[in-house]
Amino acid sequence: MKQEFVKLIDVSRCTACRGCQVACKQWNEMPASRTRQHGTYQNPQDLQWNTWTLIRFQEHVDKSGTLRWLFRKDGCMHCTNAACVKSCPTGALYYTEFGTVAINKEACIGCKACVAACPFDIPRYNEADEKIYKCDLCYTRLQEGQKPSCVLSCPTGALSIGKKEVMIEKAYARVKELGGDANVYGDKFVGSTHVIYVLTEKPEVYDELPSHPAVPFSIILWKNLFKPFTLIGLGAVAGLAGLHYLIKGPHKVHEKNEGGE
Amino acid sequence: MTNHYIDIKNSDVILIMGSNAAEHHPIAFKWILRAKDAGAKLIHVDPRYTRTSARCDYHVPIRSGTDIAFLGGMINYIISNDKYFKDYVVNYTNAPFILHQDFSFNDGLFSGYDPEKRKYNKDTWTFQKDANGVPMKDFTLQDPKCVFQALKQHYSRYTIDKVSSITGVSKENLLRVYSEYAATGVPDKAGTECYALGWTQHTSGSQNIRTMAIIQLLLGNMGIAGGGINALRGEPNVQGSTDHCILYGNLPGYLKMPSSSLDTIEHYLDKYTPKSNDPQSANYYINYPNFYVSWLKALYGEAATPENGFGYSWTPKMDDGKAYSQLHLFDKMLAGKVKGLFSYGTDPAVSSPNTGKTRKALEQLEFLVSANIFDNETCSFWKGPGVDPKKVKTECFLLPASATMEKEGSQSNSGRWVQWKYKAANAPGDAISCGDIQIRIIDAIKALYAKEGGPNAESVLNLKWDYKNRDGSMNVEKVSKQINGHFTVDVEIDDKGVKKQFKKGDCVPTFGMLKADGTTSSGNWIMAGSFEANGENKMKKRGKDDPTGLGLYPNWSFCWPVNRRVIYNRASCDVNGKPYNPKRKLLEWTGDKWVGDVPDGPWPPMADKEKGKYPFIMKQDGVGSLFGPAMAEGPFPEHYEPLEGPLTKNPLSSQLINPAIEIFKGEMDKTANASEEFPYVCTTYSCTEHWCSGALTRWQAWLLEMQPELYVEIGDELAKKLNIGNADWVVVSSARGQAKCRAMVTKRFKPFKVEGKTVHQVGMPFNYGWLYPEGGSDSTNFLTTTVGDANTFCPEYKAFMVNVAKVQGV
Amino acid sequence: MSSHEAVVRITDAEERIVHWLLAASCLFCLFTGLGLQFQAWDIIPTILGGYYASKLMHIYSGVVFTGMLAYSFYMWSRDCSFEDADLQWVLKAGGYLWPVKDLPPVYKYNAGQKAFFWILIVCGVVISATGLFMWLWNPLVVPAIIARLAYMAHAGAVVLLGAFIVVHMYLGTIGNPGTASAMITGLVSRAWCQTHCPRWLADHEKKEAQQ
Repeated sequence: MKQEFVKLIDVSRCTACRGCQVACKQWNEMPASRTRQHGTYQNPQDLQWNTWTLIRFQEHVDKSGTLRWLFRKDGCMHCTNAACVKSCPTGALYYTEFGTVAINKEACIGCKACVAACPFDIPRYNEADEKIYKCDLCYTRLQEGQKPSCVLSCPTGALSIGKKEVMIEKAYARVKELGGDANVYGDKFVGSTHVIYVLTEKPEVYDELPSHPAVPFSIILWKNLFKPFTLIGLGAVAGLAGLHYLIKGPHKVHEKNEGGE
Repeated sequence: MTNHYIDIKNSDVILIMGSNAAEHHPIAFKWILRAKDAGAKLIHVDPRYTRTSARCDYHVPIRSGTDIAFLGGMINYIISNDKYFKDYVVNYTNAPFILHQDFSFNDGLFSGYDPEKRKYNKDTWTFQKDANGVPMKDFTLQDPKCVFQALKQHYSRYTIDKVSSITGVSKENLLRVYSEYAATGVPDKAGTECYALGWTQHTSGSQNIRTMAIIQLLLGNMGIAGGGINALRGEPNVQGSTDHCILYGNLPGYLKMPSSSLDTIEHYLDKYTPKSNDPQSANYYINYPNFYVSWLKALYGEAATPENGFGYSWTPKMDDGKAYSQLHLFDKMLAGKVKGLFSYGTDPAVSSPNTGKTRKALEQLEFLVSANIFDNETCSFWKGPGVDPKKVKTECFLLPASATMEKEGSQSNSGRWVQWKYKAANAPGDAISCGDIQIRIIDAIKALYAKEGGPNAESVLNLKWDYKNRDGSMNVEKVSKQINGHFTVDVEIDDKGVKKQFKKGDCVPTFGMLKADGTTSSGNWIMAGSFEANGENKMKKRGKDDPTGLGLYPNWSFCWPVNRRVIYNRASCDVNGKPYNPKRKLLEWTGDKWVGDVPDGPWPPMADKEKGKYPFIMKQDGVGSLFGPAMAEGPFPEHYEPLEGPLTKNPLSSQLINPAIEIFKGEMDKTANASEEFPYVCTTYSCTEHWCSGALTRWQAWLLEMQPELYVEIGDELAKKLNIGNADWVVVSSARGQAKCRAMVTKRFKPFKVEGKTVHQVGMPFNYGWLYPEGGSDSTNFLTTTVGDANTFCPEYKAFMVNVAKVQGV
Repeated sequence: MSSHEAVVRITDAEERIVHWLLAASCLFCLFTGLGLQFQAWDIIPTILGGYYASKLMHIYSGVVFTGMLAYSFYMWSRDCSFEDADLQWVLKAGGYLWPVKDLPPVYKYNAGQKAFFWILIVCGVVISATGLFMWLWNPLVVPAIIARLAYMAHAGAVVLLGAFIVVHMYLGTIGNPGTASAMITGLVSRAWCQTHCPRWLADHEKKEAQQ
């Protein structure tokens, strides 16, 4: 691994202009969907195969009774222990040299295992081409030493990217500055993510944000137990059968056995 | 802006009122956040909690159309709590000036009101003068007839209780804002105000800004780094278009449009050239004739001579006492008095107030020429909803125009930076720039006139029109140089003791060299200096050096006037030229010259009684106007209710609405003040995702995806009362029309307590129309009133009355 | 007459066809599944024309498996119903592991075979159902937690069924010489029958006698 990169999302600086949402679609050449007004600024309503990042709008009344309008840029967290990579049968999802999780479209077979596995509910399945879509943190841009397009588009400095250590330090410095319930989200689970948040409220306040994300137990059971056991188990049973043959020999039919009862 | 975007980072307290800065100036907002990082307080005063509120320290909800009451209360607070910056107020404002004996204010009206004409005779709105014709002053500010005392008395009526009852703002919130903002009335603190259409789009729009100007003068916040009154202008190049006279009463560079009674150039110049007998007042507009004659020379070139008054008689004149705003235009059009309309880059069928009237008016046209990137509701009005194309006789032309990134030229930002931009791509198909369209049309008209003659032929035939490349396309640089201006003869000029030679055809390097004798031309005097004499385009400069550390970036682009980044910057220093705030040293007098930003004139500071000048050099008296007689509705801003509001009586006087506004009385101009039928206050706005009428952005699928259709934001309490659920279909109606849309039920609108009763407010974006996307939305402007500000006729989009009803069975 | 012939027809063509379709689809699923599971086995998808083709074949072969599974149930569930004697057989491990006397005589299928059948049915249903779900899952309708359990159950059932299949293959071939022909030609020796399904043979011979 060359150098791990971390994208920092400082929600306290976000004005929800959604430049990132558009820049993402522009760079990745994702089409727009025809939407309708759902009584919120949030649109589309959720991540989609063609919407890899999305500002979630949330009206929240805090403990002091003050109205807060929370804006959270949702998207791939780029886990170090990524459930999607773990569950991907073909290696289409993989770790890059930056520690991020990219996707090799050619290899994706649309099995949706990653969709089931992701604790953040990020990968999206496109029926039309039977492929999975998600943010790859602009892998090709990173390779060229460029910022991801969302970061480039952000006018307020809510988004920034840099070396992992530097960004985590920056995040903690900002949290200290903000005080109150402000916290760093992302460095304490799934081996630490490569997208981290500075949140102004506790994680449980935010819509669609797991407070304690982890690679799901069922995925661990599947991949760490059942998967090896398909081979170990079959092998063991076959071995026992062989052993039985060696010890007991074949179950011969007794030619002289009297017929009938 | 008196200051500029980057300068906002220097502020200690930022009052965002009349603006949704984060949503509409997302890039500029970074400088506001930069200030916040440095410890500045951010206050947002707005009827609705917006994305701006979310990033401010706190949000103060205010009922639409009551800003003057709110700010008047602040003036009262500042004066009665002695929070004003005395040194500044005494020396740099007209606070000590003694008012005319007969000047008075009584029950909502100033002296000189004519209720028939709804206009003031301003004879008493003047100062008493001494034997030399210099205004009399009392520097102790104690004279009961001095401006300061009159101001104090005027705003003493704006008590906390009264203001709270009018605006619906809680007393705690009022005091919190007042005390935090008034704390900038000390030498080393700067407070700035950011406003936009939330202030201008009212019947008292100009006075909203005036009231804040008074506060800024009282607190010594004008002319300093991190201070000023800052209009946040948007992507439509509002700054550039006003600089280049988009308003009907203006000529380029804010010169005045002549009216027909000013029959000669001498009469015209006499009327608009201010005089001052105070030797310390620079009264810079004494140079008005230089600017005006140079403009005529730019217009008519060689044909403009002293003998023919430089062609003054060829220029169009307004009828005396008549206004020609957009409101009047469509009013007259509806009456069948307008034959043709050129609609360039605009969509009035969506964007104009009371647009039901506008659409009806368009049907009376003989021809309509639209030049746009896309078709829009105006150009296709003849097939719009409720219009029978068979009955419309209007001939419509749609000329495909190129988009901003498909052409080269200058763009002006709010900080008056005129920045050159380059073409990024060729326009598709037949599209050409609006400038090219104009060139071809005028060429054809000139040819026709040459052949056939016609009315006012001299004006057309003498028009200098040599802006083309060899291939016939527009040469933008030629146009820009014409705007900058040339010497029309070889001259030698004494520039601060240095003799300089200029050849005929050289660019005029500064407006200080413009002359009224025909030896110079300038299409827009404030732009003189955008080119060096040798023709170097200063708008292309991209120097990133920042010698003051205040973010002035003097070598980045050209900034009018004469690259001065903060206007009235001499007011940042005391009378001896020492900076009030040494930590933010914008300018300093070193004994023989000013160092820092480009000063407002080279003269020494005013303590030098011989050569020194007052700092506000563009003002006749050289000082900031606490008393501002130029305003139509009075020299001190007074609170009046919007044309349509929830109250039957103005709590401050018997004068319910602005006494100086023009009332349109046509069949389609119905209003319903304080009626039971339309009980809710409504305001309109844009959103980050769309631009103006949406005629451009609705075609952009990524933007449309985020904001697909019309909605009305309704507070959860009102929604509950009306049994409206989130995303329900509702109909919003006013006395003039209705619009069907989705309800957005939100906690971000809260009811107000106004004069003891509960007043609900709703809000709608105005970015939608029927044409696109398919099955498109109604337009919000069906609801708005045909009325404008008393000074500018800027329509009152921000306050009117509506009803909201759930659509059953959808 | 025929009772003196050396061989007995123990399965008909229908049974054999179903058995082998079931077996083939099952093994094909197993191998394509393993190919998708273990990237080291990418030789499998490579031979099959890539991962995506491999996925498709896995799915379609799974459909065949599901169909044959259902048909098997219809065909064999009666023969594989447990009876009281099966318990004794199980307690004595069918005589496969230690010397046993008095093994209760088996009708057509011994308890081990029956158990395998029911394991096959249960695991097969789980595998088919979860497989079908994974194939058609719309994440916008059904939450991911269900899918996670489905993936886990699919794999778990494969482990269990796979182990039994190995045993089945062993016992059906070299473990019990003469057995394989039952599913190839359908014919087994009368002696084989006497050993493995004496009660059925008796019934069979009675029927032969009546003819």
